[in-house]
Amino acid sequence: MATVCEPEWQGGDEGDGGVEMYEVTPEYVNLLTAPTDQYLCDLEHNIYNIQFVDFRIRSLDEGNEGVLFDLGAGDRPSPIPPELAENAGRFIRYHFGPQFLEIQNIGTTLEFTNGDYEVQNFRMIERHYFRDQLLTSYDFTMPFVIPNTRNTWEMIYSKPALSDEWKEALINSPWEVRSDSFYFVDGRLVMHNRAEYNYGY
Amino acid sequence: MGLMKILRKMKQEEKEVRILMLGLDNAGKTTILKKFNGEPVDTISPTLGFNIKTLEYEGYKLNIWDIGGQKTIRSYWRNYFEATDGLVWVVDSADRQRLEDCKQELDRLLQEERLAGATLLIFANKQDLPGAMTAPEIRDFLQLEEIQRRHWCILACSAYTGEGLLEGVRWLVSDISSRVFFLD
Repeated sequence: MATVCEPEWQGGDEGDGGVEMYEVTPEYVNLLTAPTDQYLCDLEHNIYNIQFVDFRIRSLDEGNEGVLFDLGAGDRPSPIPPELAENAGRFIRYHFGPQFLEIQNIGTTLEFTNGDYEVQNFRMIERHYFRDQLLTSYDFTMPFVIPNTRNTWEMIYSKPALSDEWKEALINSPWEVRSDSFYFVDGRLVMHNRAEYNYGY
Repeated sequence: MGLMKILRKMKQEEKEVRILMLGLDNAGKTTILKKFNGEPVDTISPTLGFNIKTLEYEGYKLNIWDIGGQKTIRSYWRNYFEATDGLVWVVDSADRQRLEDCKQELDRLLQEERLAGATLLIFANKQDLPGAMTAPEIRDFLQLEEIQRRHWCILACSAYTGEGLLEGVRWLVSDISSRVFFLD
């Protein structure tokens, strides 16, 4: 049996009359109606040392199966503008191109490693917007993550077919599709990552 | 309306099914998971952690959990028992040497209270290998006939060729759905 060690939360002391550090709840982010304009959590809050080591997208469409993007296999995200460089660790830009809009059956895989602590109730909430309109979202909880492991989660789903108007709008609006990814451990926000997508040529 | 009824109703609306796949290391759990979902299975390394797949299957949302089977990881299996609808136990049918190990681990799981309500599917995997034991042979060795108060089924399969996988998942999901979703 592994020893259970509890990570120490810094700055989360109650009773000092100040603002609670961990007021951002899953319920709160699930109600957001637009991309955030700031990060809702500091980098230091990732005390579990959760590291995303791969992100893969594949098509499961019949006759068109295959991996379209694989960060772990060397596919690179797009360069980020200098004014956003300070957040390089948690901000990413993907230039997917218009062919991604044609995929109907899609699989997205996240692969991550973690550190010495047991992780209880690892909850991932991700919300994708086009400008201020919610396109899609998910909310998934892993009850437990074993210390020092490498884990994957693939979500396979069918996308509703996009109308031509929608496709055109998305293709002509590079980086205006945005996502916020919130990661909670036992209800506490430990990471907030953001991404922007380009479906143009 | 009692609490159980409310909970059941909520589940019914979401139709979410949680499947936990366990077995000794090298039994072929990850290969089964990948083959079933149309991924290449030529380079699969030992799972030091878990692999989850969330997918839609015949109107259900399946969450399939494949947890590593290495000895050091087995003590963590219990962290994944909660709310399991279906347990898939994967056997390497060609590994006669560890069949006793395999039986012991399965027996331990079947005594778990939190898994008491789970349907049990046993995959007699690696049927493509020469010398693989048949499903009836494994059934007898594992003494499955003695299992009480639980729906179970053993099926021969090959994660490598894909044979038997769909049949297994189909049986598992239909058994779960008849138990969980249409009970009232």
